[in-house]
Amino acid sequence: MSTEAAFRKNERRAALKLLPIPVLRRPYVILFVTLATGLCALPSFVSAYAVTLAVEVMIAGVFASGINLLTGYTGLVSLGQAMFLGLGGYGIAIGTALLGWPLWVSAPVTLVVVATIAAAIGAICTRTRGVEFLLITLAFSQMFYGAAIKLRWTNGSDGMTGIPRPDLSLLGVSADSPATFYYYVLAVSALALLLLWRIVSSPFGSILVGIRESESRMMSMGYAVASYKIGSFALAAVICAVAGILQSQYTYFVSPDSMSWQMSGEGVLMVIIGGANVILGPFVGAAIFVVVKQALTLITDEYNLFFGIFFMLVVAFFRGGVLGTVNSLIGKRR
Amino acid sequence: MQHFLIQVLNGVQLSMLVFLLAVGLTLIFGLMNILNLAHGAFFTMGAYFGLVIAKHTGSFWLALLIGPLLPFVAGFVLQFFILQPLAQRGRSTHLDLALLTFGLLFATAGAVEYIYGSAFHSIATPDVLKGRIALLGIEYPLYRLFIIAIGIAIALTLVLVIDRTLVGATLRAGVDNREMVTALGININVLFALVFGFGSALAGFAGVVAAPVMSIYSSMGIGIVVTTFVVVVVGGLGNLRGSFYASLIVGMTDTFAQAFLPEVELFAVYALLIVVMIFRPQGLFGAVGRVA
Repeated sequence: MSTEAAFRKNERRAALKLLPIPVLRRPYVILFVTLATGLCALPSFVSAYAVTLAVEVMIAGVFASGINLLTGYTGLVSLGQAMFLGLGGYGIAIGTALLGWPLWVSAPVTLVVVATIAAAIGAICTRTRGVEFLLITLAFSQMFYGAAIKLRWTNGSDGMTGIPRPDLSLLGVSADSPATFYYYVLAVSALALLLLWRIVSSPFGSILVGIRESESRMMSMGYAVASYKIGSFALAAVICAVAGILQSQYTYFVSPDSMSWQMSGEGVLMVIIGGANVILGPFVGAAIFVVVKQALTLITDEYNLFFGIFFMLVVAFFRGGVLGTVNSLIGKRR
Repeated sequence: MQHFLIQVLNGVQLSMLVFLLAVGLTLIFGLMNILNLAHGAFFTMGAYFGLVIAKHTGSFWLALLIGPLLPFVAGFVLQFFILQPLAQRGRSTHLDLALLTFGLLFATAGAVEYIYGSAFHSIATPDVLKGRIALLGIEYPLYRLFIIAIGIAIALTLVLVIDRTLVGATLRAGVDNREMVTALGININVLFALVFGFGSALAGFAGVVAAPVMSIYSSMGIGIVVTTFVVVVVGGLGNLRGSFYASLIVGMTDTFAQAFLPEVELFAVYALLIVVMIFRPQGLFGAVGRVA
C-alpha cells in the first residue's frame, strides 16, 4: 500500500471513530425500548435471587462505565479507580453516620468532594502516560486503602455499617425491599448512563477520543489537552463514586476492601470483556463478570486462581470485547 | 540513638530486598517495554520452591541456590511463549501485556493457596547466620546483615556485568536500538526471555532470602510488589542505578514511618511517590540515563 493510501485509510478510520455514537437509528431505539421494558418488568417474573444479581450487575456496570470513560474513550488505563468507589461509599457513610446529615445532603456533597479530590489527583496523574499512569493511579488508590485501614474514626479495617438506603416512604414503598431497591438502582444507573452518553456524544467526548487516538494532533490543533484529561478523570471518578454509593447502600456497609487493587482490576476486566469505548459495553461486561463470579464461588473456593486465569484469557484473546466483536461482525456484513 | 541505628539498619535491609525485586522489574521494562505486574508472583514462587527444598534437604543454602530456578523457568516461558508472541502478533500493546500479568499475579496467588493452603510458613535461619553481633554499640541479627551484604554484592555484580562485559554491552545495545542488535545476528527473543527469566530468578532469590525474616504466605508477593513499583517509578522506569538509590529512599521511608510514625505507615511510601511525581514525573534519576 502506498503511503498516500495508508494515510487516507488512517484518516478515514479516525473520522469513523470520531463520529458520535449512532443516535436515533431505529434498531437502537428498538433495542433500548425492549431493554428498558424488560428491565422494568424483570422483578415480576424472575426469582428474588435473580433480582439481587441484577442489582449487582447494574452497580458493577456503573463502576465499569466510569472506568470506560477514562480507559475506553480517553485511552488512559487506570488501575486505581476503586479508590473512588470506596470514597463514594465512605463519603455517604461519614456524612450520614458521623455528621448526621440526611442522605439527600450527603450524597451530592460526596460527589462534589470526590470530583474535587479527583481533579487534584488527576492533575498529578495525567502528567504521566501509559504504564506510568497505571502505576501512579495504583499508588494513589493504595494510599487511600492504607488510610482507610488506619483511620480510627472510620473504624479502620472493620469498615462502617448502617449506611441508609433512600427514604421512599413518600411513594409508599420501602427501599429495604429488594424489588424497590432494584428500581432505585435501575433509575440511578439509567441516569448515569444517560449522563455518560451525553458526555461521549458531545464535542467534549469527541475531544477525549481525539486525545486517545493522537494526543499530539489534538495539542497542535490548539486543545488544552491537559485540562480535558483532568476533566475526564474527574467525571470518571464521579461515576465510580455513584457506583460506590449504590454498593454501600446495597450492603448497608463499606470497608477498605472496596478500594483494593483487585477491585480496580475487576472494573478494568469488565470494561475489556464488554468492549471498551462502547457505551453499553461495561454493562454487558459486568453482567458476564458477575454471573461468572457467582458460578465460580459455587464450584470452588479458589476465586483468585480463576479470576487470574479468566483475566489473562480475556486480555490475550478477547481484546475487542463482546460488543466490539458484535460491532466488527456487523461492520463486516455491511 | 541506638533505636535510631537499628532502624537505619532495618531500613537498609528492607531496601536491599526491595532492590532485588526492582532489578528484574526495571531491567524487563527497560529492555522489553513490558511492565510485569506479576513480578511479585515470582517472589512468591521462589519462596515456596525454596521452602520445599529446605524441607526435603534441610539445607538453607540449597534452597537459596535451587529456589530461584523455578521462577527462572517460569519467567523464561512467560516471555518466550506468551508475551513475545502476543506482542509480535500485534494483538496487544504493552498496556495489554501489563494487564495480562496482572491476571497472572492473582492466578499465582490463587494456585499457591490451592496447593499449600493459606497457612504461614517460614524457612529456618541457617546455623552459621544465627545470633547477633555487636556493632557500634548495638546488637544486630547477623542474618539481617547478610541480607544487606547480598544486596550490595548483587548491585555491584550487576554494574560490573552491564558495564564491563559483552553480555552487558549487548543488553545496553538492545535498549538503545533493537533492530541493530538483531541485524548483528543476535537472537533478541532468546536474549529477552533470558533477561526476563533472570529478573524473575532474582525476585525468587529475594523470596528465599526474605523467608527467614518474613513469613511465607500465598499473597506475600502482592504486598511487596506495590512497594517495588514505587521504587522503579521513583528511580525512573528502566534505570538500574536509579532503582538502587530509590530502593534506599523507599526502604528508609517505609521503615522510619513504621518505627516513628505508625499512623502513616501504610501511606508514607505513596506520599513519597506522589511528591516525586509532582516535581519529577520521569522519576528522580530519570536524567541520569538508563543503564539498562
